[in-house]
Amino acid sequence: MTATTNAPPISRRSHGDRKALPKRRRSLGDLRIAMIFLAPATLGFVVFYIWPTLRGAYLSFTEYSLLSAPRFNGLANYERMVQDSFFWNALVVTVEYVVINIGVQTVLAVGIAMLMYRLTTSITVRAVVLLPYLVANVVVALVWYWMLDFQVGIVNQLLTWIGIDPVAFFGDSHWAIPTIAGINVWRHMGYTALLVFAGLQTIPSYVYEAAEVDGSTEWKTFWRITLPLLRPVLVMVLVVTMIGSFQIFDTVAVTTQGGPINASRVIYYYIYERAFTRFDFGYASAMAMVLFAILAFVSLLQLRLLRAKESDLA
Amino acid sequence: MRLSLNSRREWNVGRVLAWASLIVLMLVTLFPFYWMLRTALSNNTQLAGHPNSLLPVETTLGAFKRVLGLSTLQEAQAQGGSGASVNFWLYLRNSLIVATFTTICQVFFSAMAAYAFARLRWPGRDKVFALFLAALMVPPIFTLLPNFVLIKNLGLLNSFAGIILPTAFMTPFAIFFLRQFFLGINRELEEAAMIDGAGHRKIFFGLIIPMSAAPITTLAILTYINSWNDYFWPLLVGQQENVRVLTVALGVFRSQTPQGGPDWAGLMAATLVAALPMILLFLAFAKRITNSIGFSGIK
Amino acid sequence: MTLTRRTLLKAGLAGLAAPAVAGCNNGAASRGTGEVIYWLWDSAQLPMYTECAKVFHEQNPQYSVKVEQYGWNDYWSKLVTGFISDTAPDVFTSHSSKYPLFADKGQVLPIDDYVAKDNVDLSIYQKGLPERWIGADGKRYGLPKDWDTEVYFYNSALSEAAGISTDQLNSMTWNPQDGGTFEQVVRRLTVDAKGRRGDQPGFDKDNVKVYGLGYSDAGGGDGQTSWSWYAAINGWKYSEGEPWGTKFFYGDPKFTDTIGWWRSLITKGYMPTYAQAKSGVDITTSFGAGKYGMTPNGSWMLGTYAGLKQVKTKLARLPIGPIGPFGSVGKRMSMMNGLADNIWAGTTRREASWAWVKFLGSQTAQDIVAKAAVVFPAVAASMPAAKAAYASNGWDVTPFLEPVEAGDVFPYPANPNAADVTAVMTPAMDAVMSFEAEPSSLIKANNQVNKILSANA
Repeated sequence: MTATTNAPPISRRSHGDRKALPKRRRSLGDLRIAMIFLAPATLGFVVFYIWPTLRGAYLSFTEYSLLSAPRFNGLANYERMVQDSFFWNALVVTVEYVVINIGVQTVLAVGIAMLMYRLTTSITVRAVVLLPYLVANVVVALVWYWMLDFQVGIVNQLLTWIGIDPVAFFGDSHWAIPTIAGINVWRHMGYTALLVFAGLQTIPSYVYEAAEVDGSTEWKTFWRITLPLLRPVLVMVLVVTMIGSFQIFDTVAVTTQGGPINASRVIYYYIYERAFTRFDFGYASAMAMVLFAILAFVSLLQLRLLRAKESDLA
Repeated sequence: MRLSLNSRREWNVGRVLAWASLIVLMLVTLFPFYWMLRTALSNNTQLAGHPNSLLPVETTLGAFKRVLGLSTLQEAQAQGGSGASVNFWLYLRNSLIVATFTTICQVFFSAMAAYAFARLRWPGRDKVFALFLAALMVPPIFTLLPNFVLIKNLGLLNSFAGIILPTAFMTPFAIFFLRQFFLGINRELEEAAMIDGAGHRKIFFGLIIPMSAAPITTLAILTYINSWNDYFWPLLVGQQENVRVLTVALGVFRSQTPQGGPDWAGLMAATLVAALPMILLFLAFAKRITNSIGFSGIK
Repeated sequence: MTLTRRTLLKAGLAGLAAPAVAGCNNGAASRGTGEVIYWLWDSAQLPMYTECAKVFHEQNPQYSVKVEQYGWNDYWSKLVTGFISDTAPDVFTSHSSKYPLFADKGQVLPIDDYVAKDNVDLSIYQKGLPERWIGADGKRYGLPKDWDTEVYFYNSALSEAAGISTDQLNSMTWNPQDGGTFEQVVRRLTVDAKGRRGDQPGFDKDNVKVYGLGYSDAGGGDGQTSWSWYAAINGWKYSEGEPWGTKFFYGDPKFTDTIGWWRSLITKGYMPTYAQAKSGVDITTSFGAGKYGMTPNGSWMLGTYAGLKQVKTKLARLPIGPIGPFGSVGKRMSMMNGLADNIWAGTTRREASWAWVKFLGSQTAQDIVAKAAVVFPAVAASMPAAKAAYASNGWDVTPFLEPVEAGDVFPYPANPNAADVTAVMTPAMDAVMSFEAEPSSLIKANNQVNKILSANA
């Protein structure tokens, strides 16, 4: 069967197709073929994403212990959430974590990327920097739990050697979240740095040549030229890491289990606790719904920022 | 493409500081791995007494023997361990099966879907794509439990199918990722092929896929790593020995530490053993993997 | 070329598919109708229960038991997952803090009918133990299989160096105002970095090398191995029912005064800070490294302390308290807890499971347990064998026995809402012990607890 030969002019870019197609005869277009191509993914999407979301939404209006049938109880879970100090604490703690994690990780990633860009193209350096990403979260958490131990951890031994008092990284409620954020940064900074690094490579050389001609210093060039041109990359990195950050769970489960005194009881961990140890699955679903709404809001906000993704080069 | 502003290679303060920072960075990245090794090669009961020693304390292979199930109960308890062990080869096989199947299926089906979104034209295409993307924002824990109930009702608990299924068909990230690349492929080639009478199927397999080898490889690598390191879902669905993967096995080993102090040497040995396959794979393909990360859809 | 590549791909997939398909099929491993799956969490108890399984099979060839051990941290979540997915073990070791909730949700089998049918003699157990396993609904859920109490484990080398005699250690008194002679002992055992003891001038409480008293955590809602006996001899009770109460008394001054006193030991430098106690090095390892003079702990830890080769550990009785009936001198009290095995309500092998539970509660099995010297058997007649077994390991376990024989024991505060109570009390107690809140904050915590209890009633 011959394909349609009335191809539109080659110059029309595929993005423009979103606007109304003037030629009606293509209204169904490739629908049949598309359905075949989309079949497996749609099956997976409906069965493992749509259905659970709908069911989760339904369960948030019930009382459900996982061991017997769910019992509808209207808005009771949501009312309880408003008064639940643990819930609000969890949100605050999670936001604190996200801010520290994203902030430090982005700054470090840019710094590392610049180092790799300006100093050396050695593949060894890049490989080493990527290494922590390969190891599972639970492994990383366990190793750092051992290294940061208050009494026998090597980090505290080093601190005492320098003359600083040992720090209870996991035992002090003020240090718990920064420590967990730090561990996460250690694992991800290399990966993020490589993303930024690739972005650096897309900046054309004539920009730098012009700057040198104008007598700009390294520092100035970085702030005035490199960073602004990196904006689309940085925004993408921020979006990706932000959503991931809200989902912090593994590290908390391995190290502090929400302690000390709720200092690290992030929202995911609290939802998990409620569902699995307190048999309060309806309430956990309600909290997950709220989290979903928050994430959607934050992402939409960021998508607005993404609209400014046109490169300053053009 | 790399441009050096200071084309005269002079050693000014800035350069020295930059190199110093890089070295510190490499140390910070590598030291924990060394520390894992040092602790794993130590005698567990002596660890608390010698926290400063940079070398293994009373070097012994006891921890590794415990982890791999090669030591007796007495030997294990003498060094402060319990009788637990990690049936390494079995769990390695399980992790391999899960990661490989997940990667192959996910990449393949997502590529098909990405092609439909990028190169085919049909009504409502972009709206449906936005819907798929919205799934990115759904917190995994939200889908986790209903999925668990579904898998249980299908009778697929403690089977490989149960572990693999939820992500085997697609993930929003995979479709998004590949769509971006497919969008960038030159239409002229495609249209030339169509004029020659090729159907979409031939175009897909014969043109698009080979041309997208690089991003597909990247996605495959990323998917493999994520699947290998996945902990929570296999923990819920794959408890029994015959389907247990390495990350879950590590958790079980950790929980079997004796009532007194944790068996840190054993734990570190277990984490090394669990991390080793990925590290070896990485060393073998370091150049390709590192270069691939750069293609993660910046354009 | 494309064809070859495609063929390779297909062949590869087929090759990988085979084990996967095989793997798909092995979920329900076939097991015999008489095979019972049994779970426990203490790796130290694994050998003796394996021995019990062997003897059980010899006596009942139609039944067999497969014993599996999972550590405490994961034991309960695995169990719950098992309940949800219908893959729970047939019989499992259970704990007072957990079984009421399981009973409430209908996940464990009441055994009253079996007990009546087989005429199980409940008088063979230590006084008070069988009642612990009658739920809030009045049904019986387990037969006792062991029991435990608390004493102080102390470093005899350190006590000798401090000039404290064994008599002194075994006749300590306590009150919440000044800690009695108990605090004096603790003070004497504490040594700072310059070698000065707690009761000597110039003692530097900020640079302590050896703490007189150690602890592992703030105790949560039960304080089993940290503060339960102080509160008890101060005249305090957890709730108005023993054990099934409808409200708790964590706001009672008798309790808050006790906690206030306990915390003051940190201020005075006799106990480590909360952060130090909760670090990755646990209480027994620190004790074994000579950092603590005394540590309170339960009888199930005797084996662990025996394994500490660098210290010679001895046992000291808990202190005598201020309150006594009819104005008499106070007494020493200890929490007495005991484990039992529950049968999963969804088991498909009820007869076999009951036979196993009955065997574990019988003297035959308890004698095996007694000889292993890991825990105290619930059957009173097996106790002499246990005493002898411990003695051959160098332990005189009389301090554990005395409160039981005198009847000066109180139960673990079991409750169907235990998980919720813990979720409130653990952070509250942690906050007090790390000086982020005052003991009076426990009144607020108690109100929260009582609100939960009345909401779920």
